[in-house]
Amino acid sequence: MHHVTLDRWSRGASALHRRDPRVKIAAVLVFLVVLATAHRELAWLGAALFAVLCVAARQARLPLAGALARAGVVLPFTAVFAGVSWLAGDPARGAALVMKSYLSALAVLLLVSTTPLPLLLRGFEMTGAPRFLLMVAQFLYRYLFVVSEEAQHMRKAALARGATLGGLAGNAARFRAAAGALAVLFARSYARAEEIHRAMLARSFPGYFRPLIELHFHGGDVMFLVLGVLTPVALRVLIERVA
Amino acid sequence: MHIPDGFLSTPVWAALDAAAPPIVGYVVRVAQRGFDDAKVPLLGVMGAFVFAAQMINFPVGIGTSGHLVGGALLACTLGPAAACVVMSAILAIQALVFQDGGILALGANVINMAIVGVLAGYLPYHLWGRSRGRRAAIFAGGALSVAVSALLALAELLISGVRMPASVLGVSLALFLVSALIEGAITMTVMGALEAIQPNFVRQPAAGGRYALVAAGLAAVLLAAGGVVFASTAPDGIARLARQTGISGHARTLISTPFKNYEASWLGAGWLAQAGAGLVGLALVGGVCALIGRKR
Repeated sequence: MHHVTLDRWSRGASALHRRDPRVKIAAVLVFLVVLATAHRELAWLGAALFAVLCVAARQARLPLAGALARAGVVLPFTAVFAGVSWLAGDPARGAALVMKSYLSALAVLLLVSTTPLPLLLRGFEMTGAPRFLLMVAQFLYRYLFVVSEEAQHMRKAALARGATLGGLAGNAARFRAAAGALAVLFARSYARAEEIHRAMLARSFPGYFRPLIELHFHGGDVMFLVLGVLTPVALRVLIERVA
Repeated sequence: MHIPDGFLSTPVWAALDAAAPPIVGYVVRVAQRGFDDAKVPLLGVMGAFVFAAQMINFPVGIGTSGHLVGGALLACTLGPAAACVVMSAILAIQALVFQDGGILALGANVINMAIVGVLAGYLPYHLWGRSRGRRAAIFAGGALSVAVSALLALAELLISGVRMPASVLGVSLALFLVSALIEGAITMTVMGALEAIQPNFVRQPAAGGRYALVAAGLAAVLLAAGGVVFASTAPDGIARLARQTGISGHARTLISTPFKNYEASWLGAGWLAQAGAGLVGLALVGGVCALIGRKR
């Protein structure tokens, strides 16, 4: 599964993995803004930024081919719009859509696969995002796999009972059966949440997560911040100047 | 419909990114009000439930299947504010972990699906949830939530200048209608099944009109409908609107006043100055959000 692979990647030990999540967030945001606001010389800019991302992925010791393939999840959606733009007589815009969305996805993928999600969310907390929302997101991520597995079990059970055999039951009956399964999943998730809350109370949950490690800026982080912010900006200025 | 990065023009994503954090901050506050910390695991696990619910296929027609989107269902069970928070968290996780929807486009996606979509989905239930038309209201809520978010996304894309011939526009509107009806049917049937399991899973809508909610919901629906009409009649809408009203001239002076003659100045790039102004704006928004959201 996609997020399991990313989770494994994010626990690597490269220099990029060790950087403070906040500087990585800042660098990715600058990268995204530089890319999103570009209108001229897109082919050169795209190639240069792509090279930067590839170097970063190598530095992080991520499998390059795997990372490039995983960022491709945006392509089906993008391809539809690119095709429509092409048909509407604007192939340049279509190509720009593909390039921008793919590179943006690759940049975010790099961020997520070099930063464990709890650390990443803590980085976002320090940028001012509401803590409650981030805690909800963290619980969501934690139980994503658990509840998904339960849903998969239910699906398998339904298949074993012949849910795909169209002749056995009408569409309406199968529709109601699926709704029933969802309702059961809802009830089980609800009950699980109550159990989690009781367990949290038993461990005297203070209303927020106590971080085990404090985040600190190091010299390397400052270096990375300067490098990460300046590289895309300088590349774009250079390319637009030369062209 | 998750909009990836690179689709929206800068004014569109920047405006929506600026608008989303204060709204989400407010919604988080409302969701926290009157609730203890039990709500944190509940909302998180219900978010995971909505993710997992996509694995359960509903047969619709020949050989095709649909799945639950969940905005209206969450609004009717957890309440509208909590549903907005859960959907926002889902969108954030989708954008970060699954590359489903962009980071710069997150503001747009949150407003489309987590705020406007959820409010529009709750509106019929709020109005008619106690009457005899309850089931119809739940159906309408599910359908409305999907239709409104899809229309908003479409409007944003059109305003951003993504070209779409009339035929493609017609096909996508028809697809939206079909998926809206499917969501309505799924929401209605699942709510029925939930009430059979345990009636108090489903929230009764508050008696008496909370006019603010009704107004917000109605505004959401109108915004979506009006947005598409405006955007489809005026391709490259913002540029044209700017030309017509002369805003573009004002905007230029507004942006350039602090950085006078920026086009000839350092590095020779106007976009840097604009980006700088944008960053200052973002910092301001961040400060506002920190004030609203950091209670606890």
